[in-house]
Amino acid sequence: MDFYVSALANVLTFGPLAAMIGATLLGVFIGALPGLNPVMAIALLLPLTYSMEPLVALAMVAGIYNGSMYGGAIPAILLRIPGTPASIATTFDGFPMADKGEAAKALKIACWSSAVGGIASAIALMTVGPLLARVTLFFGPAEYFWIAIFGMASVGVMVGSDPIKGIMAAVLGLLIGTMGIDSLSGQARYTFEQTWLLGGLDLIVVLVGLYALPPVLQLAEKCDLKGLSAAQLKLTDVPFKRGEIRGLFPTWLRSSGIGISVGILPGAGGNIAAFLSYNAAKNASKEPDSFGKGNPQGVAAAECGNNADNAASMIPALSLGIPGNVVAALVLSALTIHGLQPGPQLFHQNPGLVGGFMMEMLITSLLIFLLGGAVATRVFAQFQRLPGVLLVPSILILMCVGVYVINGRPVDLWVMLAAGVAGYFLEKVNVPLAPIILGMILGPMAEQSVRRALLISRGDATELLTRPISATLAIATLLMITWPIVKAMRSRRAAART
Amino acid sequence: MERRQDIVLGAVFTALGIAAAWMATSYSGAGGLYPMVLGVILTLLGAVVAARAIRSGADKERVLIGAPVKMVTAIAAGALYVALVVPLGFYTASFLLMLFLPIALGFRQGLYALIVAVVFMGLVYLVFSVLLEKPLPREALVSLFGTGG
Amino acid sequence: MTIKTTLVGLAAAAALATPALAEYPERAIELTIPAGAGGGTDTSARKLAILLEEALGTSIAVLNVGGGGGSVGASQFMQAKPDGYSLFATWNSPLTTVPQVQNVAYSLDSFTPIASTSETAYTLCVKADFPADDGAGFLEELAANPAKYTYGNDGIGGTMQLAAERIFQTKGIEAIAIPFGGAGETLQNFLGGHVDIYGGSISTVLPYVETGEAKCLLVTSAADVPALPQASGLEALGMGDKETLLWRAILGPKDMDPAIVELLADTIEASVNDPGYVEFLATKGEVPNVVKGDDLGTRLQAEFDALAQVSKGLGL
Repeated sequence: MDFYVSALANVLTFGPLAAMIGATLLGVFIGALPGLNPVMAIALLLPLTYSMEPLVALAMVAGIYNGSMYGGAIPAILLRIPGTPASIATTFDGFPMADKGEAAKALKIACWSSAVGGIASAIALMTVGPLLARVTLFFGPAEYFWIAIFGMASVGVMVGSDPIKGIMAAVLGLLIGTMGIDSLSGQARYTFEQTWLLGGLDLIVVLVGLYALPPVLQLAEKCDLKGLSAAQLKLTDVPFKRGEIRGLFPTWLRSSGIGISVGILPGAGGNIAAFLSYNAAKNASKEPDSFGKGNPQGVAAAECGNNADNAASMIPALSLGIPGNVVAALVLSALTIHGLQPGPQLFHQNPGLVGGFMMEMLITSLLIFLLGGAVATRVFAQFQRLPGVLLVPSILILMCVGVYVINGRPVDLWVMLAAGVAGYFLEKVNVPLAPIILGMILGPMAEQSVRRALLISRGDATELLTRPISATLAIATLLMITWPIVKAMRSRRAAART
Repeated sequence: MERRQDIVLGAVFTALGIAAAWMATSYSGAGGLYPMVLGVILTLLGAVVAARAIRSGADKERVLIGAPVKMVTAIAAGALYVALVVPLGFYTASFLLMLFLPIALGFRQGLYALIVAVVFMGLVYLVFSVLLEKPLPREALVSLFGTGG
Repeated sequence: MTIKTTLVGLAAAAALATPALAEYPERAIELTIPAGAGGGTDTSARKLAILLEEALGTSIAVLNVGGGGGSVGASQFMQAKPDGYSLFATWNSPLTTVPQVQNVAYSLDSFTPIASTSETAYTLCVKADFPADDGAGFLEELAANPAKYTYGNDGIGGTMQLAAERIFQTKGIEAIAIPFGGAGETLQNFLGGHVDIYGGSISTVLPYVETGEAKCLLVTSAADVPALPQASGLEALGMGDKETLLWRAILGPKDMDPAIVELLADTIEASVNDPGYVEFLATKGEVPNVVKGDDLGTRLQAEFDALAQVSKGLGL
């Protein structure tokens, strides 16, 4: 207990506190602008803090990280443009809600869910995390393969009315994911002799094009010359009705659990936490058909899931010295610069600092409660008061600048435009876009892990199934695929009986 | 309409799948097998989509482009912008896009567009050039004056 | 009205920018790093950039261009103008190792060597129960059991793998290389027992040497490494000429003005030897090592030739 109290005391001083507030606000903006992502912002700002007190630097990381995960939801809800890959699942129900005139409510749910997920995750980081960290080491390539497949299975919920087209989109995503240098054999695949393709297509570039351009083109088609008045925006705060929060509670609990479990595994990535949470919420729901049509549970699941991943992803970094994602790697490098050695001793070496950082992850999640809603409604939503025709070039410019600064190469802009035009037509002919992105995220993970596993087992494929954890994961995947079918059959039988 | 669209869609994906599988034949080992399998699956799925459309009698209305003129204008402006952003420089090209795209889409309040453009570009400048210090395509105007004076 | 003010403003800014060598640097320098944010090269370069900014009196904008083991960034940087405002902070692999396995558009001649900054060795470590306790015993055990042991490394045809294979080839050892995404991932799989041998940077595994969970028996430098007392350097094993290091350098595009190269090389040397930077390097298990200008070119060429031989032996 003393540990937490002293950590709290360290953090509640002017420097870290100011940094947390500033960084959380900045993070929300960064998350909300398509193309900009927390990794870039943290990488840029962290070196500036090398000379500052470490807790200030880490406060900034915590704020940007947590803030941006929520920020991604704002354009996802208002414009159906996910600000980050992790907020794709938020568009599924967030935008339909906004379309029904419930934008304020969707934003509020996103804000609360993000905060709850972040808090749950930070508590996990402070309590059970270090104990669980060792467990993650049992996950080898064979297990990672199954996690990727498990994630792919969640494609089932996003295929919409036409499963074949959905699977087709997923396969396309998997193929795009193979582009570039194959890290296991060193050969270049689908690079068409272009050096810039050696690294494959950048996920963010494709995401921005695929998801942001179609809504922009639709805005242009709508050709709104006036803009919305304050009254039309319908952004007045809607207080939660009685029982509404209690209704969201099971979803929050489930999504936090999923986000934390995925986050704690190094390299599994926060992008899939939102998809998995959304999938679980839909499977658990009594009315799965209402998902995708503006069900608040969908927004809650996705946003809670992606924030619950954050603090948890720091667990292997802080307790084992293994960075699970780029943000964790940046945190570790910042700690190194301040003379600390990441690894199992870090906790004993400097409990004040580690505890302080954990506390900062918690406080910045709480800050989302306070700041998040206001930023979304008072700032971002106000842009909708501009005439649509002025929004068109503004969003285009933001997309381009966001994409350009990733690699500093103009050709990425063309990739983005091409992806956007393709996305526009694919959506019109009922091909869902989310499976493409999911394929791009999980494809490389699945391929590399399975090939690594086979290298280790000298080509013996049974090892993929005979290890205790891999077998469990395989069965879970099977259950996850069959569950919706079983459920649908049961309800049909029940309907036939009555 | 829907029928014809799905036939074209299926054909495009089939072609993509065949191309991918065919290219994968030149990659060695497991690194080639995996994309080849994906290519074959894509081909089959594309074929199913096309075949299903050919067989189905129903042909529902499905609008591909709502307002073709506006949509093409927006895409053309976007492409022109991307083409010009490097030769002209980021801020010059963006400013021109902010001014002329709304007008091309039928917006007639020039001053309004101008004010929004100035405010917006100012914000972008603050975030990307001042706060994040990210290098953006250099302004042609600056180099022009630079070499001249 | 606003367009006019903008133009006036631009003109004023332009008037300030008159190009002259004597005034170099007069605007921001763009530093390309051929790896993503958060890695070893990225951290060292960003930290160095802060010192260089102060010394040169200009700002330095960092651009991460990852992918292809560094070849994407190198190819992109190759096309930059040699005006001294585009610099490339890299580790040796994209220049000397990657071209052995990939078909890249650049060669060593595509760059102007400016100065190297720091270096460190790779290490090979095993779990505490491994039946050997020193470098010689480790290599004997591997030689006695061909294809029994797996070792994790930083990627196929990466410098780590070539560094190890260079030693293995000399001793006729056959071990199975399992490529991972980086030292962190290798460590994770080593600790979990999914691979037998850790191959990668020293700083990553160091904490586990201290807890006794890992024992590092070999380093790929000729000399021993003080932080790893149990590990043998290659000199002690009679293979001093098989040394392969991980080192970092700053380069420019081809055909840079020699005067600017010299100015930059001297500035870099001073910044690298700044006590603060040396201390920072020490936390990562690296030591400063400045080789300037043409000497750096010679070093690159020598390493390139040596690794070409190894990769030919591997059939990569």
